[in-house]
Order: sequence, then structure tokens, then C-alpha cells
Amino acid sequence: MRSLIKKLSVSLAASLVILTNVQAADDQLKVGFISAFTGVFSSFGQQQKEGAVLALEEANYTVAGKKVDVVYEDDQLDNEQAVTKAKKLVVQDKIDILTGLVSGDEGLSVGDYMKDKNIPVIPMYSASEDMTMRAFYPMIVRATWTGAQSMDVFGYWLAKVKGWKKIYAIGQDYSYPYNQGGGFKRGFFRGGGTEVTTVWHPVGTTSDFSSIIASIPTDQSYNAVLYNGSGGDAVNFVKQYVELGMLKKIPLIGQSNTFEKPDVESMPEDVVGSLSPHHTADDLATPAWTKFKNAYQKRWGHDPSAASEFAYSSMRLILRAIEARKGDVSDKAALVTAMTHVDMSDDPRGPVSLDPQFHSAIENVYIREVAKDDKGQLYNKGLWTVKNVGQFGPYDPQLYLKQPSDSGSYPPDQRSALPPDMLQAGSEYQYVPFGQ
Amino acid sequence: MSRTGANRRRLVFGTGVIVLAVLLPLYAGEYTVTTFTRIIYFGFLALSVGMLVGQAGMVSLTQTAFFGLSGYVIGLLGTERGMPFPLRDLIAIGAVLITALVFGLIAMRTHQIVFLMITLAFGQICWAFAQQNTSLLHGWAGIRGIRPPTILGVNFGRTSNFYWAALFIIAIGIYTLRRLIHSPFGLALNGIRENPRRMSALGYPVYWIRVASFLVAALYAGVGGILAAYSTGIVTPTTMQLSRTIWVLLTVILGGASYFWGPIVGTIIAVWLDVLISQGTARYNTVIGFIFLMTVLFLPGGVLSIAEFFRDRANNPLLDRIFRLKSGEKNK
Amino acid sequence: MYTKFLILILNGLTQAAIFFVLGSGLTLAFGLMRVMNLSHGAFYLLGGYIGYSVVHATHNWPLALVAGSLSIALLGFLFERTMLVRVRGGDLPETLLTIALSMIIADVSLAIWGGHPLTLNLPAYLNPPIRILGITYPGFRFILMGLSVLIAFSLWLILYRTKLGASVRAGVDDRETASALGVNVDKIYSFVFALSALLVGVAGVLGGSYLQLSPGSDTTILTYSLVIIILGGMGSLLGTVVSSLILGQLLSFGLAYAPQYSYFLIFVPMGVVLAIRPQGLFGRQV
Repeated sequence: MRSLIKKLSVSLAASLVILTNVQAADDQLKVGFISAFTGVFSSFGQQQKEGAVLALEEANYTVAGKKVDVVYEDDQLDNEQAVTKAKKLVVQDKIDILTGLVSGDEGLSVGDYMKDKNIPVIPMYSASEDMTMRAFYPMIVRATWTGAQSMDVFGYWLAKVKGWKKIYAIGQDYSYPYNQGGGFKRGFFRGGGTEVTTVWHPVGTTSDFSSIIASIPTDQSYNAVLYNGSGGDAVNFVKQYVELGMLKKIPLIGQSNTFEKPDVESMPEDVVGSLSPHHTADDLATPAWTKFKNAYQKRWGHDPSAASEFAYSSMRLILRAIEARKGDVSDKAALVTAMTHVDMSDDPRGPVSLDPQFHSAIENVYIREVAKDDKGQLYNKGLWTVKNVGQFGPYDPQLYLKQPSDSGSYPPDQRSALPPDMLQAGSEYQYVPFGQ
Repeated sequence: MSRTGANRRRLVFGTGVIVLAVLLPLYAGEYTVTTFTRIIYFGFLALSVGMLVGQAGMVSLTQTAFFGLSGYVIGLLGTERGMPFPLRDLIAIGAVLITALVFGLIAMRTHQIVFLMITLAFGQICWAFAQQNTSLLHGWAGIRGIRPPTILGVNFGRTSNFYWAALFIIAIGIYTLRRLIHSPFGLALNGIRENPRRMSALGYPVYWIRVASFLVAALYAGVGGILAAYSTGIVTPTTMQLSRTIWVLLTVILGGASYFWGPIVGTIIAVWLDVLISQGTARYNTVIGFIFLMTVLFLPGGVLSIAEFFRDRANNPLLDRIFRLKSGEKNK
Repeated sequence: MYTKFLILILNGLTQAAIFFVLGSGLTLAFGLMRVMNLSHGAFYLLGGYIGYSVVHATHNWPLALVAGSLSIALLGFLFERTMLVRVRGGDLPETLLTIALSMIIADVSLAIWGGHPLTLNLPAYLNPPIRILGITYPGFRFILMGLSVLIAFSLWLILYRTKLGASVRAGVDDRETASALGVNVDKIYSFVFALSALLVGVAGVLGGSYLQLSPGSDTTILTYSLVIIILGGMGSLLGTVVSSLILGQLLSFGLAYAPQYSYFLIFVPMGVVLAIRPQGLFGRQV
């Protein structure tokens, strides 16, 4: 009877499964929500959850007479855990829709697993463009962003309008900054910039950036230093950039998340004036944003961020699509079609529509600068708006898709090494003063 | 209670467990099957750690590196370069054995806490390399899209087929390990654990026996890594990170490091705790930490020592028979 | 070129300063008690967070330093008295207890302070830009180096110039004999473990001021601490000084010339030393 214990465990485990494996009732919908609630990116995971919960509470967790049951799973930003949790949600919880997803690699990993599951996947903050491009399949609907989308607008503007030629970029070594850096380079080179020197550093393990900062050549006429990273690394980097007196020598600009709330509140005031692009701006004055911001503050006691807005917006999209299907989620393809037709013109961050082919968002990009409000808090103040930017930006989709995926070594650092046809665009961005 | 009766009873129970395990996909849900597959690949890893801790008295924090290494080889050769089964799997095993040999030759010169530290260091080097090498291993993202092979028309991508394959492999693994532990090699290993100097004086090649045991342990970790890569479809640096290493060690302790079945029982409990707690509370790590704290403080012999406790207390021949689970000497 | 080198060396020294504060307590506790305290990183994080809350509430940085370090010292003391003492003598159970504790601390910290990065705001008088040899360097980093030297000196004083220190050293050399000679080993253990916790609490407040605190800092810091004391030789204060200096410069220059591999680089000297001299640079044969 050596195996008695094993046997006991088996039967115990089996009975536990039976206990926990509650089948979804007919008047119930199950939404799986995978994100990083612990670990390095737990801040983003938490913001996502807050945004999603707000949308759910506004709907009273009910849509078309059905109860919405959300199952939250923490993947600790471990891609393998993410896949394991996705498997659990699909096989055990029998979810109707999968959402959440905070980082680029996490999204791609879960996306790879979900490929043949016939369940809609609605990534919220995960921004690797390939999910809605080279690795796209029809069950993916991403009503939020790609890494390159806002950065192409930003890079082009810096080169074309500000006349900058050379940028020194320091970034976190993984897929989301690759994509942000890629968008930046394409836009910057197309606008006339000549060089973006790129340096990568490991995520989360670098604490003292002062040596990387000391290595920035101050005598080679770089127009700015781009910090292509976010979270704790960004706070460290910016702090040390200021302390080492570099800000007086070369201006600092950021990628979309570098100066996002709440991280910017931990940065020194000297960064006021630093530029970055995103699809939200903290001082948007539209009724939709004001309403969202007030509701969010009331519910959670602090300001919303892009991560929380994207989650709010994605959850509303899910709810509205189910509403449009009158609560019928059995036909997944029809549900996805309903999602792509949902009216998102009242979205807090500005009107959003979906590209029917790749199910990606077409929306505003804001160029923002860090500013200080009357309470002394730092925030992102809108400067310019570019309307209706899609994931391919101004490029021809066919041409864009022929390029390799963004990586640590692509696109090249020199304008001259980029394929010449990528320097041509089908359309041009219109930079409108913010608020008009 | 006659001896034959007990034997018959043991046979009945053993057969019952095997039948239950084999038929699992027929009566349990797909998620249960997936979870037991997870138990199997982590079970290999736990057997690897448990064998070193329990039989050889060596606390190694490097086994997850072998677990990750074999997964990476499968991903690199199979998924990215299209090398077929079983060539890639054999190369993965070969890579694990060669790495373990090189490392074992260095590490086996040390003992106890220094051994623990050097294995920790080696594990961390592997993890840091995987994390930071983007050209070959894709850094943080790892390699995704790994799929189990189809052999002779049987698609092992199906959950149940893969489970059966994994169950078959771990059955062989457990049987072999049991034979090995009761072989002269295993007894020599126990002797070295208790008193290396005496074994050396008796003419045993202590150093080489330890190196060999390290190779065996690495092999188990490597096989577990291959199964894990196929099952999850992805291999990332987190496979090798310190928290995973610690989790496995705690698992072995939870089951009972000095019992043959300790690592397996520990894995079954820990994986199910993982499943149950992670959906019940957001403060998952606090609960797990607390459980381990209590285990170390109040149940240092692991869950299986509860059985021993009853046996000693009651001195009941029936319980004596049922709970004779120990294989090695108790590791005091 | 010259100024860059100067800054890199200063950066390396800053790193070395914080490394020494991290490593010294850990190595002492190990040398005496043979306890591998794997909750060292979690202690660092918690000390920093407590310091953050104090600065946030009182805007008094020195008070935060005191509060952060003392509360961790108290925590360490209680942990040693109530739990470690129960499994004394077993390498493995002791190590496992500290792991379990670190899991709980990290998770509870996440629940209290949240996931986003926090930094302790330094008052301007503690961080003046200092112009030296043609470069501008943050003043707090010099304070950090000074504090580290001061701590090293105090530790040396305690260990070599007090009766308590003599008992500690006797315990490090030979536990059984020291005990037989009437040294109250239990008391010494509690003292050293609390001291070790105090030092890492200091490191947490210092680190949280010139860097940032967020979930994950604990494992990074733990890894650094282990590398420092393994390289230097476990139990050796001098070894910790030397390995902190080596690793500080390696990290600083590594970040400047091979940023992608900077983290990997710090493991290389440790691997080499372990292969040749398993007890570390200044460690005794174990």
C-alpha cells in the first residue's frame, strides 16, 4: 500500500475539482481576466483591474439580463504562468471571453495558446503590434493600441516640426519597448531624422543607471535622450538623469509609459516639460473624459491612467457587444463581428473605431508634456492631437507587413539603412492644437 | 493480520491507484487532466531535488536550470529549426547531461552549505543568461509555439494522449529510481550521506558516486523540462528563476524529503494548493508562505511523517503495514 | 573621456557602499549562525517602505532612517527569538523558514504599499549637487559612501574592541568551545541577527532614497547580497568590503560598456572564484 497516500490525494483532488468546477448557468456569462497582480508590473495590473471593475459596476455586472462573472487570474508577469492560467480559464471555467493582458510578451504567449480555442481574446494593455498584425487571427479584438502607433506620430513630429536629427535611445530589453522604439524610428526617419542610437538594458534588474547615463556622449549634438522604458526602471532612470545634471545638457523625452501616472508622481519636478505621446492626456476636457475621471476618482481615490482607461474602454466594448447580441454569446464569430461594430465614439480618451480587417483601434494620439498642477502634482498635459491614427499609421499595410517584426536590432539605427519605401507615406499626420 | 493478506491488500490498492491514474481522462474533466500533467512534470523536478536531498544529503538549487535547459533545446531545435522528434529530445537530454557533468565535477568538490551556495550561483547564472540573451534565447519573451509531436498517427497535442504519455514516462522513471536506490549504488549513496569519510576509507570512489548521482538527478529534471515545454508550449527564463527553485525545494520538504514518495506527494499537494488558493484569494503568496512556515516549524518531516507519527503512536501492525512508505533512512 | 571615467568610478563606489551595507549584516549572521537568511531582500524592501511612509507623513528623512532600520531590527529579533530558535542547527529548516518569511513580507508589502514604484524624497540639504574635479555629482551619493565607511568602522569597533564583539568572534570561530567557555551563545545569536536586520533596514532606506522601491526589488537585492557574500567569503567582513568594491565597479563599467549583459556579468567573478576557491576570497574552509 505504498501508494495509499497518492491514491488519497488523487481522490481528494478529484473531489475538489468537482467542488470547484461550477458550470456556468444559462443566465450567466464568464469573462476570464489574466493580468500581473503581483511582481514587477503589478502596478499596471492593478490599474487594469480598477478600470475594468468600474465599467462592470456601472453596468451592475449585468448585460442583456445576464450576470457577468469575471474570473481574475494572476500570472505574475510570467509568460509560462500566463499560458497555464489561460488554459485553466478555458478548460475549467469555460469562459466565453478572455481579456486582461498587460505586457507585450504575455499577450503574444496567451495569443499563441488561444489560437485554436474559438474564444474571443480582448487584449487591454498588451501592445505588441504582431498580435493584430503578423500573428493575428480573427478572434482577437484589440480596441486599445500597438506600441508603434503613438510613437510613429511622436517621432515624425520631433523630426519634421522640431527639426531634430539625432536621438540617443535607452530602453528596456523586451518586446514592448522594441515596438515603441520601432514606431519611433520609422516616424523620426520619415520626418527627416538621421540617427537613433539605441542601447538596451535588462528589465527590472538594473537599479543604478548612472553609468549608462554617464556614457551618453554630450558632445555629439544629440537633440534628446529617449528613455524607452516604464515602471520602476523609468523612475530610477529619470531620477538619476536629473541628479547627474544631464537634464541641463540634453533634453529627456519618454515613450508612452515613461511619464504615466502614477509613476510620474515619484519623479523629480525638474522633468516638467518632458515630452511623450499616448492615447490619453491627463487634462483632456471632453465631457466623456471628465465623467470617467470623476467616477474613477470617486471609486478608487486616485487619478486614472492610460492603463485603467484602456481596461475600462475594453470592458465596455465587451459589454456593449454582448448587449448587441442580446446576450447570446454562443456564436463567437458573430460576437466578434458585433465587437467590431460597437460604437465607441463616446470613449473617454476620444472617439475610437475598429479596423475591420485586423480588429485594431483607430484613435487619437496626443503629444504631451509633463506639467505641474496647482497642488504640486506632476501630470501629462496635452499639446497636440492627431486624429484617427490606425496601427499602420500613414503606411500602406501591405508594405508595412512585409517588414520584419520590431526587435532589438530592427529597425536600424540609421535612416540610410531603412528600406527607402518605408520613408514614403500614403498620408500625412495633421497636428491639431490640443483641445480643438 | 497475516503477511499474505497485507500483501494482497497492498496489491489491490496499488492496482487501484494505477487504474485510477490511467483512466483519469475518461472520468475527470480536461482541467484535472492538465493539472495532473503538471504534477507529472513538476514531479520529475521534485524527484530530482528529492533524490539529491533525501538519498545523497545534497541540497541543490540548480535543478531548475536543467529543467529549463532541456525546454530551451526543444524550442531552439524543434520549434525554431524544425528538427524532428526524437532527435531533438535526445539532444536535449544530451545537453543536460553534459552540462550536469561539467558542473558536477566542480560542485562535488564542495559540501553542505557551500554546495548549496555554488548550486544557487550556477542556477542564477543560467537564469541571468537566458534572461539577457536576446539574439538566441529571446530574453524575457522566451520561445513560444512549442508543440508535442505526432507519433505513428497519435497526436500528442491532445490533452489526454499527452497525459498518458507523461504518465507512462514517469512510471518508468519512478520504477527505475526505486531500483536504483535499492541497488549497491543507492546504498553507497546513503552511506556517503551519513559518513563520507568512512565510505572513502572503505574504498568507495565517493567523489565519482556523487557526480554520478548528480547526473541521474539532472536527467530527471531534464525529462521533466521536456514534458513541461510540450505541455505549456512555451519556455521562458522564469522556468529557471530562483522562486521556482525555492518552490520545488519547499514542495519536497512539504511531502517529506526523506521518503521515496515525498517529492511526489509534495508536488500533488503543492500544485493543487496552487490551483485552489490562486482563485480563492489575491494574497496567494501569504497563504503559501504561511503553510510552508508551519510545515517547517511543526512538521519538519513533511506530510508523510504524519503517517509515521501514527505508526509510532499506536504501534498498530495494520497501520505499520499501510504506512511503510519509507525507503531510505530518515535524514536527521 | 576623463570625466566619464571619473563618473563611472564614483558610480561604482556608490554601488559598493550600498553593497557593503547589504552584505555585512548577512555575512556576519552567516559566519556566526550558519543561517542563510534568504529574507534579506524582503527585509530591505520592508525597511525602505516603512521609511517611505515616515518621510511621507513627517517629511523628516533622518527619522525615516531610524524608524526603517529599527523596525526591521525588531522584526529580525522577534523572528529569531520565536521561530529560528525552534529549528536551530538545521541548515535546511533555517533557510526554509527565512524563505517562507520573505514570501509573506513581500506579499503583505504589496497589499499595503501597492505595486507602483515609490521613492523616499530627500530633503535638498541632503542631496546638494557637488562640483568636484570638473563634474557635477549628487551629494547624497557621497553621504552614502561616508555612511558606509562609518558603518564598516563601527562594525570593526564592535567586533574587535568590545567584550560583546569578542564573544561574537569566539562564536564564529568555534561555537562549541565558546559555549563551553560560558559565552551565552543564544544571546549572541539574537544580537547578531538583529544587527544584521538593522543593517539591511538601513540599506533599504538608503536604497529607497537614491533608487526606487517596488515589488521585485526584494529578489534583485537578495541576489546581489548573496553574490557579494559568496564572492567575499561567507563570514568575512573584509571579504565583503573587497567583493563590494569589485562588484560595484564591475556593475558600473558593465552598464556603460555592455548594458545588455550587465546583470549577467556580476555572476562571472563569483563563478570563477567558486570553481577555484569554493570558500570565497576571504572565507575560511567550511
